Amino acid sequence: MQVQELVTIIPWTFVAQICNLFIQMYLIKRFLFKPVNAMLDKRRALADAQIREAEEAKSQAQAIKSEYEANMLEAKNKASEILASAQKTAAAQSEEVLREASRQAAAMKAKAEGDIAQEKRKAVNEIKNEIGGMAMEIAGKVIGREISEDDHTKLIDEFIANVGEVS
Amino acid sequence: MNVDITGAKVFFTIPTGIPVMGDILISETLVVSWIVMILITGLCIWLTRDLKVENISKRQAVAEMLVEMANNFVIGNMGEKFRHMIPFVAALFTTSVVSNLISLIGLRSPTTDLSTEAAWAVVVFIMITSQKIKAGGIGGYLKGFTQPIPVLTPFNVLSELATPVSMACRHFGNILSGVVINGLLYAALAVASSALFGLLPGVLGDVLAQIPFLSVGVPAVLSVYFDWFSGVMQAFIFCMLTVMYIANAAEG
Repeated sequence: MQVQELVTIIPWTFVAQICNLFIQMYLIKRFLFKPVNAMLDKRRALADAQIREAEEAKSQAQAIKSEYEANMLEAKNKASEILASAQKTAAAQSEEVLREASRQAAAMKAKAEGDIAQEKRKAVNEIKNEIGGMAMEIAGKVIGREISEDDHTKLIDEFIANVGEVS
Repeated sequence: MNVDITGAKVFFTIPTGIPVMGDILISETLVVSWIVMILITGLCIWLTRDLKVENISKRQAVAEMLVEMANNFVIGNMGEKFRHMIPFVAALFTTSVVSNLISLIGLRSPTTDLSTEAAWAVVVFIMITSQKIKAGGIGGYLKGFTQPIPVLTPFNVLSELATPVSMACRHFGNILSGVVINGLLYAALAVASSALFGLLPGVLGDVLAQIPFLSVGVPAVLSVYFDWFSGVMQAFIFCMLTVMYIANAAEG
């Protein structure tokens, strides 16, 4: 079998090896770099998407938290407002009740006083009439004749007034 | 005893009749080159079979690691703008490594033929020159030879041409030296073995003297250096120089 020299450059082998190198480059590019890089890009995209999702979830959670805090604050404010208004209402009501009671008491007192005065007047009138009658009778008996009541009404009244003062 | 260390065997000769180029020789170099290419491509296809985004297999991890290594090597040494060079450098490195190591399975590695390294070095040299022309224009490129003084022009031309020659010869010389030393060593061990076992008396000595027992084991030690270390190292050096020269050329 024919044998090459140990150190030599065969032109066609040289050309073939250049072609081989570029074919090899294409093959490596096509069968190693292209699929692996495509896969790495896909993974990177996935990781980016996951990070973005996590950030979104975080901001959502933050929003929910701040909303919750705002709600809590509002509820607290409302509660204290309700408490304050209830206290105010209670105070006003108690005051009202007291006022009403005192007014009622005053009214009752006034009515009682009125009643008393009326009763007193009534009693005085009765007594006046009785005493007038009695006086008339006595005078009639003393004088022996009828005294016209009408004529002496003024006299009698004076008398009674005196009696009243005395009594 | 004669030790004969020759070049690659020639299987066929295809006559072309072209004066300078000569005949096409389908030699061991070419055949083993094709085997190397098939091996590398097969390995690539096998490594990138059913790639997954998550929960990756060990095979895929290796594929990713190789791609990352190639990316880091090229981009780390040349910069981001040479991203398109990654497949070329990767092809150069893997072809070189696999060619060097294929001698371990008994084939003659294509890198023991200077044509192979010369081809690679010329491709790299064309890339270097095109980068220089791209960076400084043809005028700038030619003017570069007269720097720092015009007297140095012949030396500059010489040093420019020395780049591919040194790259090719460095790689070729290292691999060939391994082949030569291994050839000598096997021959020497065969002689030593037959001398040693020839001392045995009678027919036993005659039979055992024919078998080179010493060839088992001892060459493996040298193979660690000449095949494994030198093979990987030369591939790395070749790629490193390629990357460095092209990156320097682009800087102007």
